[in-house]
Amino acid sequence: MDIIIGLTVKEGTIIATSKAATRGISILKDNDDKTRQLNSHNLIAYTGESGDTVQFAEYIQANIQLSTMRENEIELSPKAVASFVRNQLATSIRSRKPYQVNALIGGYDTKTQKPSLSWVDYLGTYVELPYGAHGYSAFYCTSLFDKHYRKDMTIDEGLKLLQMCVDELNRRMPIDFKGVYVKIVDAEGIRQIDFN
Amino acid sequence: MSDPSSINGGAAVAMVGKDCVAIASDLRLGNQSLGVSNNFEKVFQFGDKTFLGLTGLASDVTTLSQVFRLKTNLYKLREERSIEPQTFANLVSSTLYEKRFGPYFIGPIVAGLDSKTDKPFICGFDLIGCIDFAKDFIVSGTASDQLYGMCESLYEPNLEPEDLFETISQALLNAVDRDALSGWGCVVYVITKDRVVKRVLRTRQD
Amino acid sequence: MPGLNFDNYQRNQYLASKGFSQAKATSTGTTIVGCKFQNGVVIAADTRATAGDIVADKNCEKLHRLAPRIWCAGAGTAADTEMVTQLIASNLELHSLYENRKPRVITAMTLLKQHLFKYQGHLGAYLIVAGTDPTGAHLTSVQAHGSTDVGEYLSLGSGSLAAMAVLETNWKPDMTREEAMQLCSDAILLGIWNDLGSGSNVDLCVMEIGKDANLYRNYMTPNVRIAKERSYKFARGTTAVLQTSVRDLLDVEETVIPFGQKDSDAMEIEA
Repeated sequence: MDIIIGLTVKEGTIIATSKAATRGISILKDNDDKTRQLNSHNLIAYTGESGDTVQFAEYIQANIQLSTMRENEIELSPKAVASFVRNQLATSIRSRKPYQVNALIGGYDTKTQKPSLSWVDYLGTYVELPYGAHGYSAFYCTSLFDKHYRKDMTIDEGLKLLQMCVDELNRRMPIDFKGVYVKIVDAEGIRQIDFN
Repeated sequence: MSDPSSINGGAAVAMVGKDCVAIASDLRLGNQSLGVSNNFEKVFQFGDKTFLGLTGLASDVTTLSQVFRLKTNLYKLREERSIEPQTFANLVSSTLYEKRFGPYFIGPIVAGLDSKTDKPFICGFDLIGCIDFAKDFIVSGTASDQLYGMCESLYEPNLEPEDLFETISQALLNAVDRDALSGWGCVVYVITKDRVVKRVLRTRQD
Repeated sequence: MPGLNFDNYQRNQYLASKGFSQAKATSTGTTIVGCKFQNGVVIAADTRATAGDIVADKNCEKLHRLAPRIWCAGAGTAADTEMVTQLIASNLELHSLYENRKPRVITAMTLLKQHLFKYQGHLGAYLIVAGTDPTGAHLTSVQAHGSTDVGEYLSLGSGSLAAMAVLETNWKPDMTREEAMQLCSDAILLGIWNDLGSGSNVDLCVMEIGKDANLYRNYMTPNVRIAKERSYKFARGTTAVLQTSVRDLLDVEETVIPFGQKDSDAMEIEA
C-alpha cells in the first residue's frame, strides 16, 4: 500500500508520499512521485488503483489549469479545488466503472493566508483536517500525530514530526517503500525539499 | 464489509419540547474502525427555523446537503420566503424517492418551527423517503437502537428549552457511548421562537 | 426531469458487488383488512411501522385517501405504498376533472395495477382499495406484481392470516355498518396481538353509499403507554458545554427617516 501523509502547520501544508511504485510482489520504480501540482498553491497527492490514479490526477490538474486560464489567472482556493475533486469522485462512484482513487489536497489560501489539508476518498467523502493519511499508513501515523501535533508548529517542527512518522513506517511496514518525497505548500507556492 | 450506511458512523436525534425543538448530532467521521475527523457536523440549516440532520454514508451526506442547499435557495428565490419545515420534509421525501431504485444511503431527520405559528415540527425518513411523523422524538444513525432506548426512557412532553437541551444531550451522549462508530464530540441546536442556540458538548474521546 | 432517476442504481450494484449489503427500508409488516356491508364498505389497519426488528413508528397512518370516497389500506414497503397512493390520487383527481364524473373504485384499481405491473413487482405495494362511487360500494385488492382480486372480505400483510381467521369465522352476508366495523376491528386486533409485524392501534374507515367517507383515526387504542412513574428530568447544567453560540432571530431595528432632509440618503436604494 502506498503512503500518503499530510499535515498543516502554522505557515503551510506538508505533504509526503512514498517513492515506491509496486505491482504485486515487485517494486517497479523507486522514484515515483504520487503528486500533481494543480495551481500555484494547490497540490494533490493520490493513492489507489494504478492506472486510475494518474489518469484521475491529471484530469483534475487539466481542469484546474483550465479554470485558471478562463478566470484570467485568478486561481481556485483550496476549498474550491477540494470541492471540485470531491464532486468528481462522488459522480464517479455512481458510474459503471468508478475511479478507485483516494487523495489528499494540500493547499494554501492566499486570500485568508491559511494553510489547508483536504482528505478525500474514492466514495466522495471530504473533510478538512489538521493532519491525515490514507491507507495503512493512517493506522501508524494518526496516533503519532494525535500525541505530538500542535497547530502552531513551524515548518521545521512539522518536518520533525513527519520524520517520526516515516521512521515508524520504516520500522513497521512489511515492505520497503523507498523513502518519501516531501512537498511544502505555503505563501511562496509549492516546493519539494530534501528528506530521508 | 458491511452496508454503506455504517462505514463512516454517526448519529442524530431530534426532540419536541414546549414551543421549541432540539436537534443534535455527533461529530465523528470514520473509515470503519479508524477515526478520521472529529469535526464532521451532521446538522444543516435551511431557512431561519428549519434544520436537517443527515447520518449515513458521508459522501451522500455531503452530496445531499449540497442538493438541499441548491433546492432551498431556488425555493427562496421563487417564493421570496424561506422554506417551512413541513414543506422541507416533503422536499426531502420526494428527493429521496426519486432515487427509489438506487437510493442515497442516509437517514435524514427534520426539525423546526413553523414561521407563522411557531408550532414545533419534527419528522424522520427511511433511505427512500418514507416519512415518519412523530410527536415526541426521532432518531437516526448507527446508534439509532441505543437512541431509541435512551429517548423512550428519558423523554417527557412539554419540556422547557433549557430542560429539553439537557434531555436531548444526555440521550445522545449516553447512546453514542454505546456505539463504537459514533461520538467524538456532539453538537446540539435548540430552536425557540426568537433564537437558535447552538452548543458544542464536552464528550468522551474514545 | 420528471419520473424516477436510476443514476445511483449502477453505483449501488457496484457497491453490492464489493460486498456492501443493501440497507433496509421501512416496511409496514402489517395487518390490513376490508369488508363490505349492506350499504357500503369498511377498511381497517394497524399502526405499526418497522425497520427490521425495530419499531420505527408506533402510530403511523396506513389508510390513504385516493379520492374523497375511495380509500386504500397499504402493506409492504412503506415508501412505495405512500408514493404510489399519492401519485394515483393525483391522477384520479385529474381524470375525474377531465371526465366531469365522480372517480370510481375500478378506475383507481386499474390505475394502480397498471402502474405496479409496469414495475414488475419492484414497487413493494400491497393494497386494499375500497370505496363508494355511482356504481355502488366496492372492495378490491392489488398485489405488487399487478394482480387484483375482488371480494366481500379481504385481508393483506404479514398479519393477514390472523385477520383472515376472524373474517372466515365471523363474516356473514348483509351485515350492518356496526357489524362490519366490529368485524374489521376484531380482525385487526388479532393481527396486533398475534403478528409481530403489526401492533399499536386500529385505524378504520367507513365508506357508505351516498355519504361522505368517515375516517376513524385510532378507532381503538388498546396499547396506550402508561404514564411514567417518575420523571427523568436532568438538573439544568448537567451537560458540560464547550462552546455556545446564539443567533437571535428577532432583532428589530428602528430608524426614523424624516422627510425632506437634504443630506439624508437613507431612503436611497443604492446609498
